[in-house]
Amino acid sequence: MAKPADLDDTIRALLADPQWQGHPLHQALDGLYSLYCDHTEQLERMTRISDRYQKAEHDRGMSYAGRHEQQMKRLARLLRISDRYQQSLQQLNEELRQQSEQDELTGLYNRRYMQARLRDELARQQRGGRPFCVVLGDVDHFKRINDAAGHEAGDLVLQQVADLLLSRLRQTDYCARWGGEEFLLLLPMTEAVEADMLVRDVMQKMAGMHITGMPDGTVLSMSFGIAQSGLPAAVSVEALIAQADAAMYAAKHAGRNQLSHAD
Amino acid sequence: MLDLNIPATTSTPCIRTDTARGVLHMSGDSYPENAFEFFQPVLDWVQAYLGDSSLPLQLDIGLLYLNTSSIRIMMDIFDSAEEAFVAGRDIRLVWHYQPENERVAELAEEFSEDCSFPFEIMAYTG
Repeated sequence: MAKPADLDDTIRALLADPQWQGHPLHQALDGLYSLYCDHTEQLERMTRISDRYQKAEHDRGMSYAGRHEQQMKRLARLLRISDRYQQSLQQLNEELRQQSEQDELTGLYNRRYMQARLRDELARQQRGGRPFCVVLGDVDHFKRINDAAGHEAGDLVLQQVADLLLSRLRQTDYCARWGGEEFLLLLPMTEAVEADMLVRDVMQKMAGMHITGMPDGTVLSMSFGIAQSGLPAAVSVEALIAQADAAMYAAKHAGRNQLSHAD
Repeated sequence: MLDLNIPATTSTPCIRTDTARGVLHMSGDSYPENAFEFFQPVLDWVQAYLGDSSLPLQLDIGLLYLNTSSIRIMMDIFDSAEEAFVAGRDIRLVWHYQPENERVAELAEEFSEDCSFPFEIMAYTG
């Protein structure tokens, strides 16, 4: 069979050939051929239009995809920044919490935090828990250190005392800077006898401690007062502290560098 | 054009505009209950300023904490600024932060990623 292009040529040649003019088939072929040409042209136009629609739709789809991707990237960045803000708030929160619980100079708990711990511990003991001890310790002749070596040296001494106390305490004990050169130990589930041993250990270590920032041979000592919970007079945190305080002053009056138990 | 002068509260930033000098200032914490409502006047000012003139715009930022909606709005404002910059406008941004709060600088850095206009992150001095 002839190829369509060849067929086209053949038909056109036949229609143009003078010898076939007036032939009955000539008119029919001429009509059929022009109809065919019209249809072909129409079909091509339709295909072109259809192709353009398809391309437009495709472009539109691509722009949606592009926009979508852009929005997703933007959203991801928004979330990342937002998460980071939240993290920084959380860190700030943690810093503030630490600041609110800690003594700035020594890093020990501060008085406010310790008061809350003491209330908890007393409540626990009053619910039938084991007794605990409160120990107040005051650095002996601290004013002399400050006067002789200056406040900076005094601060350094307090830091060293704090470190020593922490190093001798057990994991469950709490230690706070209670006042200027005064420290409070909370010893949960501890009776006065055990507290006595622990404090004597601290005193012994302190006697042998080299004090940075002070002249060689400087010996540091503290006076301690121990009060145990669960005794009739120790009904409140305040009463317990008052007892420990009275005991500590008794130790001071008895010549310092010693411990004394609440009555 | 009416200038804005909104004082800071605990949850909303201080906002000041200076149309004559072409400055938008925003500083403080931003976690308003309805951020879009709160920032609408700012968005309006930016649109109007960028649309009405071809004068330079300086964004003077000292924002600290931003909630998610506020971040979104900042991104919108910076996008508008970026568009204007690409179109040839003189745009610059300075983000101030306290040197002890380095996190603010890191977050400002995140914002700067999509901005090609001058974006300076500066510690306050003194």
